[in-house]
Amino acid sequence: MERLDKLVAIPRETPPADAVDEVDLIPVRTYWQLVRQRFVQHRLAVMALFLMAALVALAVVVPTLTGDAYTKTSLSKTMLPPSLETPLGTNQIGQDMFLRLMKALQTSLFIGFMAVIIIGAVGVTLGSIAGYYGGWVDNLIMRAVDVILSLPIFFLIVMIVAFFGKGDAWVVIIAIGLTGWTLACRLVRAEFLKLREADFVQAARALGASNRRIIARHILPAALAPVVVAATLGIADSVVTETALSFLGFGISPPEASLGNMLKGFQEDLMVRPHLLIYPAVTIVLIVLAASFLGDGLRDALDPRQRIEKK
Amino acid sequence: MEGTVSEGLPVGGTGDGQLPSGDELIGVESLVKHFEIRGGLLGVRRIGAVRAVDGVSFSVRRGETLGLVGESGCGKTTLGKVILRLIPATSGQVRVKGRPIFGLNDREMIPIRRDMQIVFQDPYGSLNPRMTVGEIVGEGPYVHGLRSRQEREELVRELLARVGLNQSHIHRYPHEFSGGQRQRIGIARALALNPEFVVCDEPVSALDVSIQSQVLNLLDDLQQDLGLTYLFIAHNLAVVEHISDRVGVMYLGKLVELAPVDPLYQQPAHPYTVALLSAVPETDPRKRKKRIVLKGDVPSPAAPPPGCRFHTRCWLRERLGNPERCATDEPALREVRPGQMAACHYAEEVSPAAIEAASRASESGMTAELAAG
Repeated sequence: MERLDKLVAIPRETPPADAVDEVDLIPVRTYWQLVRQRFVQHRLAVMALFLMAALVALAVVVPTLTGDAYTKTSLSKTMLPPSLETPLGTNQIGQDMFLRLMKALQTSLFIGFMAVIIIGAVGVTLGSIAGYYGGWVDNLIMRAVDVILSLPIFFLIVMIVAFFGKGDAWVVIIAIGLTGWTLACRLVRAEFLKLREADFVQAARALGASNRRIIARHILPAALAPVVVAATLGIADSVVTETALSFLGFGISPPEASLGNMLKGFQEDLMVRPHLLIYPAVTIVLIVLAASFLGDGLRDALDPRQRIEKK
Repeated sequence: MEGTVSEGLPVGGTGDGQLPSGDELIGVESLVKHFEIRGGLLGVRRIGAVRAVDGVSFSVRRGETLGLVGESGCGKTTLGKVILRLIPATSGQVRVKGRPIFGLNDREMIPIRRDMQIVFQDPYGSLNPRMTVGEIVGEGPYVHGLRSRQEREELVRELLARVGLNQSHIHRYPHEFSGGQRQRIGIARALALNPEFVVCDEPVSALDVSIQSQVLNLLDDLQQDLGLTYLFIAHNLAVVEHISDRVGVMYLGKLVELAPVDPLYQQPAHPYTVALLSAVPETDPRKRKKRIVLKGDVPSPAAPPPGCRFHTRCWLRERLGNPERCATDEPALREVRPGQMAACHYAEEVSPAAIEAASRASESGMTAELAAG
């Protein structure tokens, strides 16, 4: 058999050390700078970020400054219309509606964020273990996920809250957290399964990096992006779940304030004084919208394959 | 583990045993990697196995480049990864400088890792998008606790210059580079631990042809300067011929031929090698090609044919009147000519005349098929 022709005529010279490389013309940007750049381009997400920041600021500042004034009743000031003194009016027992709404916002957001932290912690830990180690551990965890998903979640939460203490915010948080981690767990596991075989992870293994370093430095940062998105959307879910619980009388009950029990308190007045219902309803819609658009913006921003489009 | 393993064992024995043992850097002995196919209700019942690598033995000599070729799915990439213990082997052993490495625990593997590194095929997937070039190239020395932070940065700069990248790129991220540049980053990372042995897993397959030659030259230069030993995995026969000292040909998880580059390309001893070489495109359109077109597809590695794995498609077997032996006895890798090993019962029958006749038969067969269709 005749000898094959050589590949190509091969140039031997290397470029001079000071040659301008086209890479040098791109400004150095870190990963997070790129993320920020992409996020800023998502206008709705930026607006949602400001909205969420404003809601959180109100929820922190107003109740802190006014203390427990939101529980104070006054029989001489019932059912006042909005005025300078009471911006949103008062309710049937003379409580300041503005102060109650702010306190309700605080309670609902607190429950939403805390539940998401529990969901994230449990979901990421179990998902990482299942995805990285595989085998029977994976099987065990994922079957547990299947079992939880096969139950009617909301009914389960109602049972837990009814059993362990109606009206306690922490019981609500833990009930939502312990039933809601399954989605995060599945997401993280899927990412781990994919990334475990990725070339850059294999390269780290070939270099002699420990399992801990491979997980912490190479897999987890890449696997977290979908979780961050899911968690942001999860805030909206948790707030709505809390609202439903309180509306049914299993969540936070008066004199404490939450968006759900405010809705419940005014359902009889719907025809007469619809504005009392509108306040908490609009607040819930704002929280859910802000969280959803924030989630969308983060999803676009955290994807490294998404290039920056020049407008 | 599996009873099926033993039937692959006799092949090649201890590889090319005629080598003086001091010459061997990496020894691969009866290496087997089966990917299990699981099924059943809980996914734990073993219902079969893909025999990606099925009893391969050879050794890599210090300072040489051993090329490894074969079709997609023949197990060459798996073989490279199993040798580096990136995926666990089913059975067999790998010796690094005479020391068996399967069975060492993670801690004992750490010093071994310094001796052997890998360059990947995909320059996009092989670099962590969240790390800077400096962090990527410096990771090896970092995890081994070699050198101080400052010394590491100096080392990284030296390495970047060595592989033909600008030192100012140290703080940049992989997504800012072209494919060829990324491959150079991957090479720099592999060199950072000062290894003796590098598995090049199709390092140029994903690159532009003009860039391919640059990267090949870089690998060549590095080998000469640093005295590296390569296991060069590729499916491009011209690339392998250019860079290799010896070449191994794989088919369905087996090594079917192992020989120095010139004899292998000029006078292949295994019928599969002959067919493989005949498929290389000719650069001169006026020359008539002697093509031998194999019939059918590669059999499934989950159910390889008995006897010689190539017998279902072998042109030589057909010419010899389908001897029974090919379908029952598994041929061992044996020395057909000095230095040239092939796993074929009838390797002596492979001659220029036989090849010529087979290619004519293959061509007329194709014409007949065309006429009929």
